[in-house]
Amino acid sequence: MKTNGADDKTYLGIPLYRPRVAFFEFTSCEGCQLQILNNEGTLLDFLSLVEVVAFREAMTEKSDDYEIAFIEGSITRDDEVERLKKIRKKAKVLVALGSCACFGGVNQLKNRFHDLIAVNKMVYGEHPVNSGLVRPLCDIVKVDMQIFGCPVKKEEVEKIVINLALGKSIVLPKYPVCMECKANENICLFEQGEPCLGPITRAGCDSWCPNNKAGCWGCRGPADDANVEQMKKVMKDLGFSDETIMDRLECFGGFQTDEKNGQR
Amino acid sequence: MLFKTFAKEELKILFEIIAAHNRVVGPVEKARDRNNKPIYAFEDVHEFHDIQLNYTTTKLPAKRFFLPFKEDLSTFKIEDDKWQKSIDYNIDRPVVFWGLHACDINALNKLDKVLLHSVYPMPYYAAKRKNMFIIGIDCEPQPFCFCRSMGADTALHGFDLFITDLGEKYFVEILTDTAFNFLRELKTADALEEDHILYMKKVDEKKKQFTARIDTTDLTKILDMEFQSEVWHQWGDKCLSCGSCSNVCPTCYCYGVEETVNIDLKGARKTKMLYSCNVIDFAEVAGGHNFRPLRHNRLKYRYYHKHRGFVEAFEESLCVGCGRCGETCLAGITVSEVIASVKTGSKE
Amino acid sequence: MKHQLKFVDVTARPAVQQRRKQDLASFEHTFRSEIMSVQPLTEMETVYRIKLIDPAERRQFSFFPGQFVMLEIAGIGEAPFSISSSPSIRGEVELCIRKVGNLTNFLSKMGRGVHVGIRGPFGTGFPMEEMHGQNILLIAGGLGLVPLRSPIAYVQENRSHFREVNIVYGSKSAEQLLFTYQYDMWRKDDINLNIILEKAGPSWKGPVGLLTKSLSEILTGRQREFYHNTYAIVCGPPVMFKFVCKMLNEFHIPMQKMFVSLERRMHCGMGKCCRCNVGSTYTCLTGPVFDYWTVMNLKEAI
Repeated sequence: MKTNGADDKTYLGIPLYRPRVAFFEFTSCEGCQLQILNNEGTLLDFLSLVEVVAFREAMTEKSDDYEIAFIEGSITRDDEVERLKKIRKKAKVLVALGSCACFGGVNQLKNRFHDLIAVNKMVYGEHPVNSGLVRPLCDIVKVDMQIFGCPVKKEEVEKIVINLALGKSIVLPKYPVCMECKANENICLFEQGEPCLGPITRAGCDSWCPNNKAGCWGCRGPADDANVEQMKKVMKDLGFSDETIMDRLECFGGFQTDEKNGQR
Repeated sequence: MLFKTFAKEELKILFEIIAAHNRVVGPVEKARDRNNKPIYAFEDVHEFHDIQLNYTTTKLPAKRFFLPFKEDLSTFKIEDDKWQKSIDYNIDRPVVFWGLHACDINALNKLDKVLLHSVYPMPYYAAKRKNMFIIGIDCEPQPFCFCRSMGADTALHGFDLFITDLGEKYFVEILTDTAFNFLRELKTADALEEDHILYMKKVDEKKKQFTARIDTTDLTKILDMEFQSEVWHQWGDKCLSCGSCSNVCPTCYCYGVEETVNIDLKGARKTKMLYSCNVIDFAEVAGGHNFRPLRHNRLKYRYYHKHRGFVEAFEESLCVGCGRCGETCLAGITVSEVIASVKTGSKE
Repeated sequence: MKHQLKFVDVTARPAVQQRRKQDLASFEHTFRSEIMSVQPLTEMETVYRIKLIDPAERRQFSFFPGQFVMLEIAGIGEAPFSISSSPSIRGEVELCIRKVGNLTNFLSKMGRGVHVGIRGPFGTGFPMEEMHGQNILLIAGGLGLVPLRSPIAYVQENRSHFREVNIVYGSKSAEQLLFTYQYDMWRKDDINLNIILEKAGPSWKGPVGLLTKSLSEILTGRQREFYHNTYAIVCGPPVMFKFVCKMLNEFHIPMQKMFVSLERRMHCGMGKCCRCNVGSTYTCLTGPVFDYWTVMNLKEAI
C-alpha cells in the first residue's frame, strides 16, 4: 500500500519515522480494524504516515517484514498462541488494539462458565471447535502498547500514529470518562436511574456511550487510580443489585474482580 | 445603583427587544430525572416561554460560554520548517445571560479577580467576559445551597440588571447604562418606599430558608492546623477522583494544555482543557514525579486552594456555595460535611 | 438595530515595543526565536543558545538570574526551562535541556537555525543585589547547576561586590558533570568550586559522597559573623532540599537568606492553570525562587 512521496515526509524540517506496520486479528469481530478503515476523510493522510504491509481487511498483498504489529482480538486456541508468539518475534513494537486484545473483551465472559465443554457443545453443537479459556495478549507475550476501547476510537488511533511518526510519546488519558462526559454537558446517567462506570473507566472515548444516553460499560478498563471499591459501594447505595454491578465490571474484562480471579 | 419596578408582563417585551438582535442564553428544562423532577441547563433560547425563570439550579454553570471545557489557544500553519502562529479568542459577538442566580454572578466576580484583574490577564476569558450582558434573577434556597455562608447569596456587582420577583411586579436593580437604555422601552416606574419594604421582606424570607451552612471562622488557619488530619484520608478513600466536582464548579478554572499536530502535518494546535486537581496526574511532572499521588492529597489540595490560598490572595474564598459539587458527587462528598469534619476531626 | 449589543474587541494591540504583562495580547504572544547554537554537554544534556529574532523585542527582553522561560515547538509542546545564561546579555537565553519528554526529545533532533517560540521571562529571581557585600553559597545537586549558572555568571561579572563565594556541586558521576569547560574560569574569578561525586571512577581525585559532606566541611568552624552574612542558593532534586536546608538551618544561616528554586509542572507560567501550585501558592508567580521561610510556610513544598 504505497502512497506517493510519502517516504520523505517531514515536520518542521525533521524527517518523520515511517514505520512498517501490520494488522492482525485473533478472536474478535474485527470491528477495531474497521474503525481505522472508516476514517474516509483522513485515511489517505493516515496511510501516508505508516507503511502498511499487512492488513487482511483492507488489502490482499502482505509481507512479513514489519516493525509495528497492531493486534486485534483475544487468544482462545492453541494455534493462536503459536501465531502470536511468531508475530512477537518479528515485531519491534506489539500493540494490543481494542479491548479483546487488552483484556479479553466481551469474549472473556465465557470464562465465567464453570463447564467450558458444555459451553462449547451448546454453541457449536455437532461441530465442536478447539477453543479454551479466553486470554488477553499480555497473558502470552509482552505487549508494548495498549489501545483500549470496544471498538477503539479512531481519532485516538490517529493521534497515536501521528505521535509515533513524530517520535512523541503516547500518553493515554489517565482520568476517567466522567471528565469528558461533563465537558460534553451530558446529564449524569445516574440522575436518570441508569448504571454507569464513567467514574472509574479510562477516558479517551469522548464519553461515546453517555453522549448517546447509554451508561458506560467500562470497555476501556480502569482509569489510573480508579476507586473501584468505592464505585461498587456507590452503585449499591443507589439501589443497583450486585448482579448489575458485576455484569458491568466483568463485561469487557478490564476490571479484575474477585469472582474472576477465583476461576482463573 | 438605580432601582425600578415594572409589571410582570413587561419582562417578555424586554426579552423580545433583546433577543431580536442578540444571542440569549438562559435556563431551560433539559430533561427529567428519575423522580420526574426537571433538570435545568443553560442553553441558547429563542422563545421567552422556554426560559424557566423559577429554575432551582442547573447541573452545570454557564461556564462553557466563558470558560469552555476545550478551547484552542492558538493554531499553527506549518510549511516545511516554518511555522506561523495565529491566536483567536474564540468569540465574535456579545451574549446575553438571562436569569443567572446571585451565586453564579459572584462566581464570575471571583474569576475576574484571578483571570482579569491579576497579573497576566487571560484574554480568552476577558474577551468573553467583556461581551456578557447579565440579567440576574432572585432564587429560592435549595437544601444544598450554602451561598449565604460564603457571602454569595446576594450580588452587588458583576451584572447589568438584577430582577427580583415581588409577587405583583418585578423589582430591578440597574447597574449599567446599556441596561438602563433597554428599560426605556418598557413601562417602568421608579421604585418607591413600599417597593423597598417588599424587597427587604423578600430578602428576609429568603435568609430563613437556608438549611445548609458552613462556619468559615478562622477556616484558613484551621486548614493549616489540620493539614495532617486523619479526616482527609477518610474523604480520600471515598473520593472517586473523577473530577466532576471541578467540572460543575462555577469557579474552578484550572487547566491543562496540549499541543497536537494535524494528521496532514500542515497544521497544529495548542488546546486548553479544563482540568481537575482531583485527577491523578494534575501535579505530575515530566520524568514522572507526582507531587500529589494519593487521592486524599488531591482532595485536600482542592479545599486548600479554594478556602485558604484564594483567601490569602484575594480576601475571599473561591467558592460561592452553589452546592453543585456536592449534588453531582456520586460518593456524596459535600463541602459542608468536609469542612465540618476537618474542624471536629471526625467524619461522622 | 439600536438594541444590538456592541461587540467589545479586546484584541486591540499595543505596540510591540510596549508589550507589558498587563496587556491581554501578551498572554499568548511568543517571541519568535532562533536556535543559534547547540552544544552537547553530556549524553543527556545539551545547551541551546536561543536568540529572539525581532530587534525591538530583543532590546526589551531581559531577565533576572533564577527566572524561567516557556519554550514552545509548534504542535510538539511547551514547557518551562530555567535560564542558564548571564542576565547581562539581553535578547537571548541559554537553556540547558535534558532529554526527558516530548518537547526535549524533538528539540534534540532540531539543529541550528530552527525557529522556536519563547514566552517569558517568568517567575521570581534570586535577589542578587541584596546579596552585595555578603558571602555566597551556591549549592547544586545534579541538574540543579543549570539554574545556578545564571547567578554564577552574575557573581563573576560583579565579583568585587561579593566576599567569599563557594559553589558546592554534587553529581552522581564524573560523566554527568555539567559545564566542565567553565570550572577553570570560575576558579580564576576566585570562586571556590567544591565538586563531590556519589560514585567515582579511578581517575577521580576529589571527594566522594553526598553533597552535604562537602557542605558541612565548608561550614564547620567558622566565625558567627560568617553565618550571619552568608546567602545560600539551593537547587536540586526534592530530596536534596530537605537535607541541605536542614544543615544550613543548623548552622544558623538566616532563613530569609536561604533561597531554593522549586520545580513543578507548569502549563502557563502566568498564574492561571494552577498546575504548579504548592499548597495554594503559584510556583510560577511567587516562585520558582522562594526563601526558606516562605517554603516552611508552604504545605508539601519540599
